[in-house]
Formats: sequence, structure tokens, C-alpha cells
Amino acid sequence: MQDQISRAEAIGAAPGAIIHEDTAAKWFLVSSVAYFFIVGIIALLIAAKFVWPDLMGTISWLSYGRLRPLHVNGMLFGWLLAADMGLAFYVIPRLCGVKLWSEKLGMATAALWNIIVLGAVVCLLAGFNQGWEYGELPFFLDVLVVVAWILFGLNVFMTVAQRKYQAMYVTIWYTMGCILWTAFVYLTGNFATLFTTGTNQANLNWMYVHNAVGLIFTPIGLALAYYFIPRAANTPLHSHKLSMVGFWSLAFVYVWTGAHHMIHGPISQWLQTIAIAFSVMLLIPVWAVVYNLFATMKGQWHQLRESVPLKFLMSGVVFYLLTCFQGPMHSLRTVSAIVSKTDWIPGHAHMAVLGAFSFFAIAGTYFVVPKLWNKALHSQSLANWSYWMLMIGGIGFYVTLWLGGFWQGWQWNTWTIPFIDTVVALKPIWIVRFVSGVMMFTGIVMFAYNVMATALGTHEESAA
Amino acid sequence: MFKKADTSALWAVILSLVLFFVGGILTTIVPPMVDHTWAKPFENNDPAKGPTGKLVPLSELELKGRAIYQREGCWYCHTQQIRTLLADTKRYGWKGVDAPISTPDEFVYDNPHMFGTKRTGPDLARVGGKYDTQWHRTHFRNPRDLVKGSIMPTYPWIVNDPKEFEALVAYMQTLGRAKDWRPNHDYEK
Repeated sequence: MQDQISRAEAIGAAPGAIIHEDTAAKWFLVSSVAYFFIVGIIALLIAAKFVWPDLMGTISWLSYGRLRPLHVNGMLFGWLLAADMGLAFYVIPRLCGVKLWSEKLGMATAALWNIIVLGAVVCLLAGFNQGWEYGELPFFLDVLVVVAWILFGLNVFMTVAQRKYQAMYVTIWYTMGCILWTAFVYLTGNFATLFTTGTNQANLNWMYVHNAVGLIFTPIGLALAYYFIPRAANTPLHSHKLSMVGFWSLAFVYVWTGAHHMIHGPISQWLQTIAIAFSVMLLIPVWAVVYNLFATMKGQWHQLRESVPLKFLMSGVVFYLLTCFQGPMHSLRTVSAIVSKTDWIPGHAHMAVLGAFSFFAIAGTYFVVPKLWNKALHSQSLANWSYWMLMIGGIGFYVTLWLGGFWQGWQWNTWTIPFIDTVVALKPIWIVRFVSGVMMFTGIVMFAYNVMATALGTHEESAA
Repeated sequence: MFKKADTSALWAVILSLVLFFVGGILTTIVPPMVDHTWAKPFENNDPAKGPTGKLVPLSELELKGRAIYQREGCWYCHTQQIRTLLADTKRYGWKGVDAPISTPDEFVYDNPHMFGTKRTGPDLARVGGKYDTQWHRTHFRNPRDLVKGSIMPTYPWIVNDPKEFEALVAYMQTLGRAKDWRPNHDYEK
């Protein structure tokens, strides 16, 4: 079992065995990297507005309330999910020992995805916002997302159905799980909500918001980590059994936790308690996965010095561990009373989506781009710099917001302090956040430039 | 049972969905069937049980204002929920009177819901009737003219459009008013 990955890949890697076209993977990756850069500009702009609130304040479509959903949707769907889909198109055929079921369908999916993202930019800036977090996109775009997801899922499932190796590596389950769960989670958050109001609707909304991270980005992110860590380190996965524990406990536990977004809020106390209990149980799948990935690196840590993908991957695992320790703790009523609704929360959320899952996707992109274009990476040193920029900028961002948010929460709980004083107090925090954002954006520029320069470059070197 | 999913994709699919749907159904479809306060509009005529009042659907003008609130993303920075925390009831009270805790029956007509997740600005669940129209006009034009140190954006395109401004203020004055929580009906217009 332990050497499953090397077995599964042995034939695929042999010269002349299967020639993967990878056009769909390339389309997804190139567009996602472009959105990472473009939406990064939006991110900087909204971080700047915390420090200089009058910045572009007279232009309605550049106001904070229009740009924030664009930042969130652009990063989640334009960058991260698109990159994940592109990497899945690379990984799944290789683990199955066959070609992607339909390259043309994959390209059509990528084209449709770009239409959705561009539609989202126009709609969100114009203020066509459905009013649900993560579910802002107008109805017709929601429908297109569902169509694109079905096309993506069909391609993956047909590839799996035609696989050459009967045993499926853990990455395949996580990818299939992601496709199935996403379908229902997305329908709940964007369609079922249409038929409800008030607390009932909020409950469905939070089920979606929470599971957008827990059952969309987590499984596809872990799918990539499970593939790229053993691959980049050239070492077998530590334990197949432990990966089963992680996967099946995730499948059962995650979906219960949505109501922890409304702790102390206008929603039934017993539902809050259920959400808290299951949030704490999340430690099981998380620690099973993290232990497995750490143990895989046993005796191999020295490789981090030379390998940029491994640096991103293992830092991502650490951030995943931290963010998934915070999550269950936030759900506790006493902790929630302090950190909920404060700036702590964006610090936590960015560590999950940027620190863990985007790091996995960046690592995957750095790993596959030279292979896809059959060229050496444009610059190893630039890649290394991009890591340090994203890492230091990221930590600056997360830690600063935790400190600021915690402080804010204490101030709010002392109700004699006027609210505006708690705003003014956070000004230094927001300045550091903006500076950290500049560093992170610099890292994104270096990453995007490196990828594009490799793809477009003329060096016809063969990848190492 | 789980071992079989190693080699059978179909079995993996079935098992992932079954495990998912246990929690999925129990936490989304079942709760509103168990807790009927989620769907029953607030109504109370007995002062002994807390603030009296009745939740009524918004007027056309107020709904228009709500749509503006939704369009501008006000809900990204302002929550609408007085939580079961002493600090919330004190901080969002008015003239020494504590704000009543928000209950599901006050939000039955809300679509989309505006509970929010982040308080970059103060909670607005009980803001209705706290400030008069002229205050809101000045505040939307430039919040810093009234509240030094505020980081709220300016909204000239709303203030300069009398119809939009009227609608938005009409909506805001309804917030938290289903419960008649202030002594002597003391609300600003």
C-alpha cells in the first residue's frame, strides 16, 4: 500500500507509454494565475481603504462594498478553484494510468469558467449582488457554475472509470469527494436559499459558506497535497490506513458545523451546540492528515532547502494544522464571544485559503508547469523569493489580524468604550496589514511572472 | 466497508454521499421543522414577557432601501444581530436602555438575510430610530464629518439621489423596531 503512488505512476512515467495532452490543464492554470494577479490588485485596494477610507471614495463601483465580494469570489473561484481544477486534470489521468477522458470537454470547461469569472467581475462591480456571502453571484452565473462543475466532474469520473489501476490512490477519493460534495453544497447555498428567508436561509447560507472551505477547498487541496508531497519529495506516503481515517471522518464530520457561524446569534441553542461538538471533532480528520503528511517527510526534510514546491507544500500543511486548530476553538462559546465578528476572523480565513490551500495550488503549479511546457522553470531564485514574500507577508497578515482582532474583541466586551474608539485603535493593525499585503502581492507577481515566463519562454530545456 | 472503496469507485461515491447526507439533512432540513420560531413572525402583547410589538413586512419603499443596502454591501461591515452577550445588549442599547436580544422570529421576512459576519462598523440590528434623517444625510455624504476616525466609505451617489436616499433611510429606520423596546416610543424620524 505504501508505495502505491510510485506503482501507480511507474508506467505513466515510462518513456512513450502515454502521452498526455494536458491542454485543458494548461488553460485552467494560465487563466487562474492571471486572476491571482488581477484580483491581488483588488485585494491591495481594499486593504488600502482601511487605512485611507477616502481613497477612490466617490466612484460607486470602486467602493469597498463592491470590491470586497470581487476579491473574495475572484480569489476563490477565479484563482484557487480554477487552479485546483487544472491541477486535477494533470494529476487524475496520471494516477489512473490513462489519458484524460475528453481533452476537448476540459477545454470547453476552462472556457466556460473564464466566462463565469468575467461575468462575475462585471456583475459584482455593478452591484448585482445576491446578498449572501460566497453566494454573491447572480442567478444566471450560478447556473453556469453548476454546468461547468458537471462538465468537470464528468471528465474526472469518466477518467477514473477507465483507469488502468484498480486500486485508487487517496488523491482520487478526495477529488471525487470534492466533486460530489461541492455539487450539493453549492446547490444548498445558491439555490435552496432562494426558497427560504431569515434564520432558515442563514442556516443554509452558513452550511454553504463553511463547506465551501470544508468540502470544496479542503478535499481538493488535500488531494493535491497527497499527490505532490510524495511526488516532489520522491518518497512513499507514510500510511494508507491513516489517509482512510482522514478521508472518511472528513466525509462524515464536516457538514454538521455550519451553525458555528452564528454562535450566540438568533438561531436555536441546540443547533449551536451540535455545530460546536462537530467542530471540535474536526480535529480527527485534520490531525490524521497532518500526521500522515509529516510522517511522509520523515528523513526527507532536508529536501525543503532545494525544492520550492516542497517549501510551499509543507508550510501549507503547517498552516492547515493551525487554521484547523483555530476553527474548532473559535466555535467554543467563550472564545466566540471574543473573536467572532472581529478582525481575527479574516486573519483565520486567509490562513486557510491563502496559507494552506493556495500554497498547495502554488506548489502544484510550480511542479507541473515545467513538465507541461517541457521547459526548465524560468528562475529558481525568483520562485524562492516568491515563497519568502508570500510566507513573511502572509504571517504578517495573519498574526497582526489575530492580535488586532483579539484586542478589538476585548474592547467590545467592555461596553463603556465607545465603538469608534475601537476603530481608531485598530489603525496601526490595518497599516501593518496593508504592508503585509504589499509583500504578499509582490510574491504573487513573482509567481505569476515566473509561470508565464516559463510557458512563453524560448528556453527549450527539458525539465529536470 | 471502507476497504472496498479503495478499489470500487462506485462504492466510494455511495459511501461519501451517505456519510455526507446524514449531517447534511439533519442540520439543514430538520432544524426548521423542529424549531418553529424560525418561521413564526414576532408578536407579543404582554409586557411581562418582554418588549411588545409585531413584525410586519416591509413597505415597497423600505424594500427598495433594503435593496440598496444589499447592493452596496453594507452587510460586509455591519451585522444585524444582538447576540446573547451582555456586552451586545449594553453596547447597542440607547439612552441607558439595553437592546433586546435578537430572536429568529424578528427576521422571518428577511430575504436575503442580513445577519452578517463582521463588525468593521457597529451592529445595526437596533439602529432604527436612533438617528434622524438629517444625521443620516450628513453621515452618508461623509461619515468623518460626524464621527471623527470613522473608516466608513462616503456614499455621494446615494445622498445625491433623493429617491435612493429616502428609501435607504426608510429601511434603516425599521431595523429592530418589531420589538418596541424604547420607553415612551422615543424614536427619531
